[in-house]
Amino acid sequence: MTPSSSSPDVTDSIEAELSRIWGELLDLDPAGIPPDTGFLRLGGDSVLAVRMSAMVRKRLAVELALSDVTVEITLDHLADLVRRRASGEGAARALPVEIERRPDPSASFPLMPLQQGYFVGQHDGWELSYDSAHFYGDVGLVGVDGDEAADALEDALTRLALHQPMLRARITPEGEQYVLPPDSPGAIPRPRVYDLREAAPDEVEAHLRAVRNEMRTTGPNPLDGPGLDIRLSLLPGDRGRLHTAMSLLTLDGWSATLLNRELLTLAADWNAVLAPLGVDFGDYVTSLGRLRDTEAYAADRDWWWERLDGAPAPPALPLHTDPRDVRPTTMGTREDRLAAERWTALRERCAAHGVTPSAAMVTAFGVVLARWAGHRRMLLNSLQLNRLPLHPDIHRVIGAFATTMLLPVELERGRTFTELAGDVQRTFTEHAAHNLVSGVEVSRELARRRGTTRPIGPVVFQSTLGMDAAMGERQAESAGPLGELVFDDFHHQLRTPQVALEVRFYEVREEMAIVFSLVEELFDADQVDAAFTDLLTLIGSLADGPGWDRVVELPAVGDPEGATGDLSLDRLPERGADQQEGPPADELEQRICELWEEILGVPVLDRATGFFSLGGDSLLAVRALARIAKEVGTAPSVREFLDAPTVAGLAAAVRARLEGSRR
Amino acid sequence: MTVIGVLGGSGTVGRVVVDRLTEYGLGRLRVGGRDLDRAAAVCRAFPQATAEPMRVDLHDPQNLREFCTGCDVVVNCAGPSYQVLDAVARVALAAGAHYVDAAGDLAAIDALESAPPPELDERAAVFSAGLMPGLSGLLPRLLATGPLARLDVYVGGAARIGELSAVDALLTRGPQFGTALAVWRDGRIVPGALAPLRAVTLPGFRGRVHAWPFLSVETARLAADLGVGELRNYTVYVTEAIPRALAAAWADGGPAERHVPAVVAAADADIAATGPYYTLLFQAVPAPGQPAGPDRPRRLLLQTPDSYALSGVVAAITVGELLEGRIKPGARAAAECLDAADVFARLTGDPLVTAAELH
Repeated sequence: MTPSSSSPDVTDSIEAELSRIWGELLDLDPAGIPPDTGFLRLGGDSVLAVRMSAMVRKRLAVELALSDVTVEITLDHLADLVRRRASGEGAARALPVEIERRPDPSASFPLMPLQQGYFVGQHDGWELSYDSAHFYGDVGLVGVDGDEAADALEDALTRLALHQPMLRARITPEGEQYVLPPDSPGAIPRPRVYDLREAAPDEVEAHLRAVRNEMRTTGPNPLDGPGLDIRLSLLPGDRGRLHTAMSLLTLDGWSATLLNRELLTLAADWNAVLAPLGVDFGDYVTSLGRLRDTEAYAADRDWWWERLDGAPAPPALPLHTDPRDVRPTTMGTREDRLAAERWTALRERCAAHGVTPSAAMVTAFGVVLARWAGHRRMLLNSLQLNRLPLHPDIHRVIGAFATTMLLPVELERGRTFTELAGDVQRTFTEHAAHNLVSGVEVSRELARRRGTTRPIGPVVFQSTLGMDAAMGERQAESAGPLGELVFDDFHHQLRTPQVALEVRFYEVREEMAIVFSLVEELFDADQVDAAFTDLLTLIGSLADGPGWDRVVELPAVGDPEGATGDLSLDRLPERGADQQEGPPADELEQRICELWEEILGVPVLDRATGFFSLGGDSLLAVRALARIAKEVGTAPSVREFLDAPTVAGLAAAVRARLEGSRR
Repeated sequence: MTVIGVLGGSGTVGRVVVDRLTEYGLGRLRVGGRDLDRAAAVCRAFPQATAEPMRVDLHDPQNLREFCTGCDVVVNCAGPSYQVLDAVARVALAAGAHYVDAAGDLAAIDALESAPPPELDERAAVFSAGLMPGLSGLLPRLLATGPLARLDVYVGGAARIGELSAVDALLTRGPQFGTALAVWRDGRIVPGALAPLRAVTLPGFRGRVHAWPFLSVETARLAADLGVGELRNYTVYVTEAIPRALAAAWADGGPAERHVPAVVAAADADIAATGPYYTLLFQAVPAPGQPAGPDRPRRLLLQTPDSYALSGVVAAITVGELLEGRIKPGARAAAECLDAADVFARLTGDPLVTAAELH
């Protein structure tokens, strides 16, 4: 026995402190928490588990490995683990960096990988991209104090922007970000208020349609202003409508929920004060930058790299049109809600079957996709809102923390849903335990190996189930002069690049929302409807009970079978960039070689060399094209560049532009 | 009839020299080695050659003199070159022969010129008649059809390193041989200008390779000769095993022999990784405003499975040039006295050359 573990005080204090942490997270009496019951069964989930790690790190000064803290862990096991880690035993794969405050909070810092993706998307860099990557929502208000509401909202937004630095963020044309000091002009976003209290009904309707249409199609752009656009329509009968558009470049889904909560809290009470934040997003990004030099990062990268050659293709969903040939302006939506009592029942049944609601939902989505695509093995892209537990305040910080994770889903035939969900949860946990390398980076490497510029993970899964609990308090429904929020009167719209189909699961008060966002132009609407119905039916059977022990009907085929001649999401044609190898053929090609050498730090000797195979990424592509435009006078868009991302291909595109402009 | 002496004729390089000289039909051969039986075996292997074996010890001046006497040309393929320097050249010249050394650096030329023997007025002593130095300083001249803004030289691959070569590799560092991390820019050596390139892809090299900047004396002279704006010279390894072994040995110090096994093993690891191959890649950037066209090639690429053997071909070609009277008397580097186009044309037809591109 070591002195520390033999001391009853220390032992007691570990157990007692852990009980207190669980009590706070799960809203339970610390004294009454059974030591042998799993975190999941007590109402915990993976989001809360991450928060638990941060609290353990802060209060007990013990670093838990990301893979240690599974939802199945019991208080006993956790105490044991903490004791072993504290005594330096066991190979904890702890986070090898400490978060530090940056000396200059207005210093610029790099974009996170997913931010880079959005940034490039706004430069027309991807197929399926838009002028802005943003989320738009509007919600009905009743009982509005029309004379006070505008001031209350402006005041709340000002105080919130002082509290949350990323609401003052800007992005530079070179793809860096920085936070404006509060006193610099334009730093604090201002709401726009439309007073239609005296307007006629048709005028109100026309106004709301116009505002919605404008904000859906033109999102706020942090390259030239705040990443947030908030508007208030004051309507007759003390009603109103709160419109919010947020750039995904500066706010992720978690932040959107935070923003709504904090804004309404501040609007409800002139005197409300939010607990100060010990870190900001820039501190987090800067710490993650140091992570790249650690062995832990290298180990995660190796883990992913070893698996890449065997990674499956995206689901072979039949397509109308090649994604490259559509120019969508908005994404289509299918949505439904699981009523409060059924959502409660579903949560309980998930816990009883030893899976998180999120794991059950990704399994259900996988089953539906398998039936739609006609095969059982596929690559999904999971949007991860979890933040690395570098600081206990991190979950209260607004920023673009989100990242992605590639998730291979392999559904075996002849198994019950319970078994399938268990398999998927294990795979998910195993992959999430290597999350120091983001899905964006993994996708880039996979694309390089496959020699493709087409999307690697165009089918996305996103779940924020459990987030409300992780944030602590419930969403406020009353916002002082702004009145009451009517959640049944909620309209929303997401625009995110490189996504063909995205499913989202989230909680709205006591209900669970199930949403498809998709590029309508790609799919047959009847097939989308059928798949959405299939998903609702399956979820219903899980909420009601019988769905768990039934053998799930699945197609016989594992991986999609080749060449049927029809277009499908797993098999998008590559545009032949068939340049002849050799040294650069002229001065333009030579200039491109030299520029790429400068940007990528490697020799560029052949005209058939691909930008991405040299280690370039999309952000560097934007920079390279900007340089070409500056030096030569013109450059193709990133999207055109992706068609032939070689020295010769770029030179040809530049020449075509030069000739076009001469004509 | 012409008599050509080949010292070290039973070694890897020497056997190829004997073979090619026989093929070119340049004369009778005298094949010298420390071990008479091995030298005799080489002679028997080429029955059509009029070759006689002779036992010779480089370190026995009398013995060496006897070997050289009666030769029109003496080709030296024995090393290590840092020990041989100009010693054999002096004996050969004194015996009335021209001299060709498949190895030998600037250090050897300097040694010979520091006290030039009178025979140098009539005879030539050609050093560095191998692959590197040798072809590495000669072939890029084919790209200098006009003024060059930049020239990149990448030489390397996976090759066995024998014990003697390992000693050479360990000892041939210092200003007489070249400058690590340096670049040639605007007429002078700029130290510390380049960083090692890790895991890069290069035309003519397999997979991802590691390129270490090393501005050799030979390429620096080439740059000055051609008036190139910038010259980058890299040694290419297929894994990091060899640079790591060399760095460890240099850090450790002590006698070179102690580190030989590590260097030999590192080279074997490289061959296991990619199979044996060796590539010379030269790429030029013309000065601004130069016309482009098929008569103005920008890249020369040469590949061989055996870099040592190819050195033998270069030495044999040099002998031919000497006997044709195309090399003037004096102490010279092969890269500065051979005709690049002629040599490239002959190499293109040689079975040891698996790729020869000029475009």
